[in-house]
Amino acid sequence: MTSSPDRPLTPEFAASPSAAQMAGAPAAVAARPRRAWAATRRRVLLALLLPALTALFAVTILPSLFLVATSFTPLDLTKPGSFRLEGAGNYRELLRDDRFWNSVWVQTRLSFWTVLLQLLIGLGLARLLHTRIRGVEAVRAAFIIPMVLPPVVVALTWKILFTPDVSVLNWLLGVAGMPQRAWLTDSTLALWAIIVADVWEWFPFVFLAVLAALQMMPDEPLEAAAIDGASRWQVFRHVELPLLKPVLLVVGLFRLIDSMKAFPHIFIMTGGGPGVATEATNYFAYLQGFSYTFVGFSSAITVVLLAATFALSLGIMRLVGRATDVE
Amino acid sequence: MSSKRRRALARGLYLVAVGAVLLVVLFPVLWLVLFSLRTEVESFRMPPRLFVVPTLQNYVDLWQSKFLRAFENSAVTASATTVLSLLLGVPAAYALSRAGFRSERLLSLWVLATRMAPPIAFGIPFFLIYKEIELIDTRLGLVVIYLSFNLSLVIWMMRAFFDGLPRSLEEAAYIDGAGVLGAFVRVTLPLCAPGLATTAIFCFLLSWNDFFYSLILTRSDALTAPVAIVNFMNYESWEYGKISAGATLIMLPVVAFSLGVRRYLIRGLTAGAVKG
Repeated sequence: MTSSPDRPLTPEFAASPSAAQMAGAPAAVAARPRRAWAATRRRVLLALLLPALTALFAVTILPSLFLVATSFTPLDLTKPGSFRLEGAGNYRELLRDDRFWNSVWVQTRLSFWTVLLQLLIGLGLARLLHTRIRGVEAVRAAFIIPMVLPPVVVALTWKILFTPDVSVLNWLLGVAGMPQRAWLTDSTLALWAIIVADVWEWFPFVFLAVLAALQMMPDEPLEAAAIDGASRWQVFRHVELPLLKPVLLVVGLFRLIDSMKAFPHIFIMTGGGPGVATEATNYFAYLQGFSYTFVGFSSAITVVLLAATFALSLGIMRLVGRATDVE
Repeated sequence: MSSKRRRALARGLYLVAVGAVLLVVLFPVLWLVLFSLRTEVESFRMPPRLFVVPTLQNYVDLWQSKFLRAFENSAVTASATTVLSLLLGVPAAYALSRAGFRSERLLSLWVLATRMAPPIAFGIPFFLIYKEIELIDTRLGLVVIYLSFNLSLVIWMMRAFFDGLPRSLEEAAYIDGAGVLGAFVRVTLPLCAPGLATTAIFCFLLSWNDFFYSLILTRSDALTAPVAIVNFMNYESWEYGKISAGATLIMLPVVAFSLGVRRYLIRGLTAGAVKG
């Protein structure tokens, strides 16, 4: 165990003739060089950490602070000199703005239905495909394709399916004797079109997580239930489902938070319309800041959105903590 | 019918059912690809024909448009931000894994918050700052803002990989006279190659898929492919052929890569909340 000459020796090791022995049997040898070595190691590790933390601070914390500051200004890109702190005017305006409350209501419906349907479909499909039959294992991977597609591709795919001129979907509905619709320009159907696209994109996320949980599930309770003569449905309802609850909660919350970021679908499929029928809060903030020029107002909407996301994230941390405590 | 044959039949029916569900699920994206291979006339034909003589005309048109430049922008910015995030993030992840700074909760909250924040939260301040320092419509500008989601992801994922490696190997390297850095670079990193590859793919995909930042921070020179396609949506007409061809090109590398890392998909997507 001699050090090869091409490797740099740390001063601490060089100073101690029994470096090898020391590291091998730490308690036996002098404590002072060892402490020095630990201090050096700590300094090096800190040096490895600092650049990333500095960068992370610069690209996340600073912009967030800047955003909060902007939300207290009446900044309008077309008005020079409007970038000055002026109190909570934007927030007061926000509370009075019908269009904002409309966006909250659109967001609520969008989030509720997408999360609910994703959980149901993902759970059902995972249960269906949780089997050791050969062939099924091979096709499982194909089910995750929707969620790995670039969001813009998902949006364009569904835009093409929902646009009457070229809609194979409408044609299929016609064949089945059902009414053909102008999905994206109908004020009640447009939101549903977006919900469909989002559910399609993200049910595989629930599917993957539930499938993993099913595969790690202990056999004993399932076998015990089977011996007791429980039917398949009873086993699912009373044994598997309770065991899956923590997973469903966590993926559900993740989907809930992500649903508040819905953007490409709305931008490409409906542009928030018809009227304001699909104008979710995130999209409303985008319109105010970048379609119009009211960046100050837009920042205030975003701060509200950010606060909601942050509260939900804390919720996730609590739940995850509790789920692991139970284990 | 013997019970053996009945079971075989049940299995056959089950497989058919699974196949049918798969077909329904994948139909939209298959249709997009088929759509990109037909002429304008065919795409408007009702009832649509399932099989038509495929044409690559849409791809040829795309090749001759500005789309190629946008594709290049996407590839360059995604690669550059991946390299930068790894260079900064991997050493940091190692330090967090080995030093025991007792930062666990704070770090996971930070990672989770940056992953959860709607892009517009960073979009507005970056837009205002970039306007001042003239980084609007530059690749550099995109690379920097992509760090906001990539860096924390790298730290989170790589720390899980480092935590999974036994420390005894590094300690053996110390005994052989390697310094802290030497042990990290020559011993630990090579062992983490699969983790590094997975993390790199994640960073690349997240940047490649970005739509929002490119939409607000670029105009023409640094335009990336997802936003460039949208420019084929005009008020008068949609160039469906080019749109579907462009969308197909954007998704191909993504699908290939992600099926490769599917084991880690959940870990990557729930970074901050679920331990590796």
